[in-house]
Amino acid sequence: MDFIGTILWPIRWAIELIIVGWHYLFTFIGLDPNVGITWVLSIVGLVVVVRAALIPLFVKQIKSQRRMMEISPKLKKIQDKYKGKKDQFSREAMSRETMAMYKENGTSPFSSCMPILVQMPIFFGLFSVLRNASDDKAGVGLLTQNLAHSFANAEILGAPLNATFMDALNNGPWQVMVIAATLVILMTASQFYTQLQITSKNVSDETKESPMYKQQRILLYIIPFMFVFSGVAFPLGLNFYWFTSNVWAMVQQFIIIRQMPTPGSEAYRLRQQRLERKGKLEVTDEGTETSGQGPRSNQRQQPMNSKRAKKKNPGSTGPNS
Amino acid sequence: MSAVASNALLIPRNIAVGLLVIYRFLISPLYGDVCRYYPSCSRYSLEAMQSHGFLRGVWLTARRLIRCHPWSAGGIDDVPERASSDLRVTKHGFVVAHPHRKAQ
Repeated sequence: MDFIGTILWPIRWAIELIIVGWHYLFTFIGLDPNVGITWVLSIVGLVVVVRAALIPLFVKQIKSQRRMMEISPKLKKIQDKYKGKKDQFSREAMSRETMAMYKENGTSPFSSCMPILVQMPIFFGLFSVLRNASDDKAGVGLLTQNLAHSFANAEILGAPLNATFMDALNNGPWQVMVIAATLVILMTASQFYTQLQITSKNVSDETKESPMYKQQRILLYIIPFMFVFSGVAFPLGLNFYWFTSNVWAMVQQFIIIRQMPTPGSEAYRLRQQRLERKGKLEVTDEGTETSGQGPRSNQRQQPMNSKRAKKKNPGSTGPNS
Repeated sequence: MSAVASNALLIPRNIAVGLLVIYRFLISPLYGDVCRYYPSCSRYSLEAMQSHGFLRGVWLTARRLIRCHPWSAGGIDDVPERASSDLRVTKHGFVVAHPHRKAQ
């Protein structure tokens, strides 16, 4: 076994376990074991397991975002210090000071690249599981010869799950191309929606001023190209995985932005207004330090600082995604 | 050591620098800003390669990547400085031998 194969072995084993497990479940409740939809649903099940396992990371992320508002005056101070200085050294000094300040206060808006890196081996693992199955070979674990054969020959709307757009371009069927193209369009649309939601609504005014934020926006325009590449080069099954993962991210982000937005952001102000309309507004002072928000929401609680407010209202938020 | 020989010794690290520059240009922006440390992991790796060479660079990078996870404290984490060096870094990040500048 080659080097990458050795690394992927446990991942492939786990992926096969999850997919076969879901496949067994769907067959048990009466779906035909050999049709495409059963296997697509099994892939969806895989996404659910993987993304659910990542939820604690997101909750942690949200919590540290909420703490960002406590330090936003300090952040603003640093930004004012470097206001109008666009040269490289000032930018670097500013990033440096900002990071030092995050550490001092025990919080950071960044989650490290681990959540992304964790998903990559899963993606490659699934790729090799699908590739293997499409050669009609048994997998490394629970994917037996029979199941692999069934997986390889499963079709959804006349398109085999192991076919790629490139294969179909040469020798059909055309359905593969239609489905792949549809998935690419849907993925791009959902990604755009998610990113726009995050960057335009769920970002505090201070963050909007930072150079990091502006760089983040570039993402929006690069990602669609990755989807096109994936849609053309990778088998349909893999694109179903990516598509489902995207939809999950979109829904998760929607819930987060609506229910626990970043204090000081547009979404936060909208939520305050919604709560006020319903007469349920409890904690209004969280956004006061971040300045420049909605006109009427906060005067009453001005004198109370955020620490006291927190004491008054312990655990007012909880993970609900 | 002649300049040619020292430049030949610098080849491994310069290959690494080239790969890192490409990574930072093409792939890094896809992630956006996610690093909990300053400088970011790829920048750290680049600097480690430039000042400590390929082998130690790989070692330092691996340790940094392990350090950088969602539960780490983050903050400023620079590459350990090297006592003296007669190397020069070009504007594209590559390292060349530059023994005559040493006196300055």
